[in-house]
Amino acid sequence: MVETEGLTKFYGKRRGLEDLSLEIRAGEVFGYLGPNGAGKTTTIRLLLDVIRPTRGRLRVLGADPRDPGVRGRIGYLPGELALEGRDKAGDYLRFLAGVRGGVAKGRVEQLAERLEADLSVRMGKLSKGNKQKVGLIQAFMHEPELLILDEPTSGLDPLVQQEFLSMVREARTAGRTVLMSSHVLAEVEHVSDRVGIVRSGRLVAVENVAALREKAVRLVELHFDAPVPEDAFRDLPGVRDLKVEGANVRCTIDGRPDALIKAAARFTVVHMVSAEPDLEEIFLTYYSEEGRHAHAGA
Amino acid sequence: MPTLVLKTLREYRRSLIGWTVGICAFAGMYTSFFPQIRANADLYSQAALSKYPDSVRTLLGGLENITSGAGFMQSIIYQLFVPLLFTMCAVALGAKAIAEPEESKTLELTLTLPLDRKRLVLERFAALVVGLLGVAVVSLLVVALVGASVDIGVPFGRILAAHSMVFLLVLFFGTLSLTAGAATGRKAAALGVAGVYAVAGYVVNALAPNVEVMSWLNRLSPFYYYSEGRPLITGFPIGDALVLLAATAVLVMTAVLSFDRRDVGV
Repeated sequence: MVETEGLTKFYGKRRGLEDLSLEIRAGEVFGYLGPNGAGKTTTIRLLLDVIRPTRGRLRVLGADPRDPGVRGRIGYLPGELALEGRDKAGDYLRFLAGVRGGVAKGRVEQLAERLEADLSVRMGKLSKGNKQKVGLIQAFMHEPELLILDEPTSGLDPLVQQEFLSMVREARTAGRTVLMSSHVLAEVEHVSDRVGIVRSGRLVAVENVAALREKAVRLVELHFDAPVPEDAFRDLPGVRDLKVEGANVRCTIDGRPDALIKAAARFTVVHMVSAEPDLEEIFLTYYSEEGRHAHAGA
Repeated sequence: MPTLVLKTLREYRRSLIGWTVGICAFAGMYTSFFPQIRANADLYSQAALSKYPDSVRTLLGGLENITSGAGFMQSIIYQLFVPLLFTMCAVALGAKAIAEPEESKTLELTLTLPLDRKRLVLERFAALVVGLLGVAVVSLLVVALVGASVDIGVPFGRILAAHSMVFLLVLFFGTLSLTAGAATGRKAAALGVAGVYAVAGYVVNALAPNVEVMSWLNRLSPFYYYSEGRPLITGFPIGDALVLLAATAVLVMTAVLSFDRRDVGV
């Protein structure tokens, strides 16, 4: 759906993006992550032909995004969405729908209802969150093959964020492809199949979310009905930072909890606490590793 | 009409109405003063000649024959004030075509529509033409009707010719503003380039009869082609009109080509 090779963008001497080679497959949800200013928006604007690459090759839906026909098959939410003027949001959506060759009847109203957006307000008077809703409606309304969403959850309250995520899931179920950027993994991890991490204009890693979760370090606490010997838990594969205090065992596990569970099964487990794996932490290790490399190189 | 042209006209609506009202009020009011001047012909032609120092009179186009209908219209309506106001209107609208929405970031979404960039510029230009034509037609009718009501004695065909030249003049400046905006994406550049060129062009044209160097520079001034043919007296000057149109066409091509190849919104 999206293919880039050595994609590079310099703004004068300032590096926006360097040597990005990325493939986004049909039907997947791809989370594009990185801190602000890392090159996420640059990538996305290159994909939509708002800006032109300094070097490199890109194909979107099998064609050059300069081809207007290709852009008609994309739903795009800009990172800095600006809606102004005295036009009502509904009129603006009608205009966009008209240029894109029409939208199924009732579709806009249905999306507006889901996101609780009021389309009878003049655009200049919309709050930030409501602008974002209008932005999402216009991106989803023509049921495009490819959705490119730059920071889609910014400005949305948690309930609307949930609704948005279920819209993304539905799009995937319907076989559409989604590229969404964020600076927080937590926002995209539950819907993304893969995440790419970009930092200082370079792609640092592309990871399968399921694999990432498997690699995740999680903290586990077990409470038994009687004190347990430390030996029973020592040197289990994947178990680290073991602490046995009487009837309580605390450790972190790396990957699967299988060995720990089997070891614990020999005793009577009263209570067990397992924190959700903190993907954010893994995500941050990528950053710090990259930081170390940069440091070593300097 | 193409969707983007309509949408653009909707964006222009309020400022178009404002400028139309302003230009019409000015042109109508001044045209209605004609009977007073005609009634006191000696007084006013003397006053006009003596009231202003020579240099100012030169800038106002000489102020000759202001007691005849055509002379009055030429000096009061078509020499400075109507072209000036209308040029300001055109330059402001031209800046709204690309530069202003680019600076405010509203252009980005429009750009990602399935519309060719060349077509985007052309449709914005088309909206500018239609909008300015609207202002021109309404103000033409006001001048002609008020003129007829005070027996100004200039045939409608001649007023139409003069007004057509105003339209072509301001279309040039509006397009210049559009083009500077399309090439740079900066509103200040759009307004600045068109504004400076208009003022310089006017001054050069006004001083040309008296200052040697200005007379060849004057060939670069749109005001030269605007005023040289004296449309109120001799009718529509086709040659001059074609020069203005050709210059506008070159600007539109420049706008299309430069916008098509650059990054937007950086």
